[in-house]
Amino acid sequence: MPQDENEQGSTGLSQLLARHRAELQRFLVARCGSAYEAEDFLQEMWLKVGQAQTGPIANGRAYLFRMANNLVADAARARHRAMRRDHAWLDQEGGGATAPEERVDMAEPADEAIARRQESEVLQQAIDALPEGARRALRLYRFEGMGQAEIARTLGISRSGVEKHLALAMKRLRNSLADCGYLVRATSEGSGGLRGGEPREEHDL
Amino acid sequence: MSREELDKIRQDAAGWHIASESDSMDWDGFTAWLEADLRHAAAYDEISLTDGAVLELAADPAHRAFTETPAVVQAPGRVRRFRWVGAGAGAAMAASLAALLIVPQLRTGPGQVYATSDAAREIVLADGSTIALAPHSRLEVSGADQQQMVLAGGALFDIRHDPRRQLAINAGGLTISDIGTRFDVQSEGTNLRVAVAQGKVAVSGDALDKPVPLDAGKALTFDGKAGVSQVASVDAKAVGAWRDGRLTYDNVALPLVAADLGRYAGTRVTVSDAVRDRRFSGTLTVGNGDEAIRDLAQLLGLRLSGRPGDWRLE
Repeated sequence: MPQDENEQGSTGLSQLLARHRAELQRFLVARCGSAYEAEDFLQEMWLKVGQAQTGPIANGRAYLFRMANNLVADAARARHRAMRRDHAWLDQEGGGATAPEERVDMAEPADEAIARRQESEVLQQAIDALPEGARRALRLYRFEGMGQAEIARTLGISRSGVEKHLALAMKRLRNSLADCGYLVRATSEGSGGLRGGEPREEHDL
Repeated sequence: MSREELDKIRQDAAGWHIASESDSMDWDGFTAWLEADLRHAAAYDEISLTDGAVLELAADPAHRAFTETPAVVQAPGRVRRFRWVGAGAGAAMAASLAALLIVPQLRTGPGQVYATSDAAREIVLADGSTIALAPHSRLEVSGADQQQMVLAGGALFDIRHDPRRQLAINAGGLTISDIGTRFDVQSEGTNLRVAVAQGKVAVSGDALDKPVPLDAGKALTFDGKAGVSQVASVDAKAVGAWRDGRLTYDNVALPLVAADLGRYAGTRVTVSDAVRDRRFSGTLTVGNGDEAIRDLAQLLGLRLSGRPGDWRLE
């Protein structure tokens, strides 16, 4: 019996994906800047919804868009991790503590933990420097795992007030990470704009 | 390109990103925004990566990003009410109000009783732990350290771990103890479901051979009548999502689902004996209670009789 229900759920999602295929593809192209990558992501979505144990979903279209958006974000995040390791490498190199002949194999990535710690410290300081409202909202959202509606209730402010606080927090943290060179070339190849931009950009806080 | 222009793009990108987690996200508008300028997608990527880094930091137990006291600090005894704001139009639950209050420091003696009707309620314990008590639920808290609780209905517990305090929650004939952090409990008569979002708990009782340890991402369902218990994986993020009007199930017995709908959608649902053993997997949105029940009936191929507010699944 449960198998039937799951099948019913995933079949429904596949049908929904078929129905919204064109607009999802268009979104993916716009989101990742490459028709080729967009096609890969779409393939991944077919696989995912085929195996999904989700069953019925309230707003299927929004669910699929969110899934597409998250797939692109996850891929960017994986590239970011790789980049961060290189970044830590460079920092250590830049310190000049090690003579070239004493260096370990250049191909070996620097300790992931070191890279993470460096990034964490940058983020930590940026979080501490946030305005009170944005900091509280961010804490509840990401560190306590609350939903936006719940944060609105907890802080006694409107839902749009919560969105404003969180957006401000994200923008400022982005600026701090970019200032320290953490967002350089982390994003997808294959489109222009800011990608691969200068490590230190000017911006308003 | 000017600084102001770039800053505006980043601000918009952050706004879209935050909105993307809401059910009311305008995906067409977002697509159009991305298409309007190549810099938009790049700026969005950076915001999304930043959020990923924040999530990673939050998940790192070695890192304490916040050392301040909890956000929910109210004068003792004062009760504040906020209108419940649902996630999107569909999730707006009618007549749902949440209240916040601090439980006064308790002495030994009769317990403090919290009971909800149509509204969920947030309870903050003296140590800063919080409990979101679901609509139509009842929680009794007693003991010198507020360490004894009895629950009928649903609640999401966010408990500060203190090894010196032996906190125990009785619900559905079983006892939940050895508690650290965040978990959801739904009990209805002799049916019990415990789902852990973070940390771990142990569930014990006469009906179980030995205590069942539950880690994050695991849920135990217990049918007291049949004497059957089962542990399954759950999406940790979906634990406690009832507060945003979403009920997510993985292979859960129909009577429990019906009881939840009764609690969260404010409508009575009875289940005929013929379909008691059916199980449900999926997510129901409790925007309009009657709609959620129709969805459920349709998805399981069940006959729905009765009338709005008092349904019967058969």
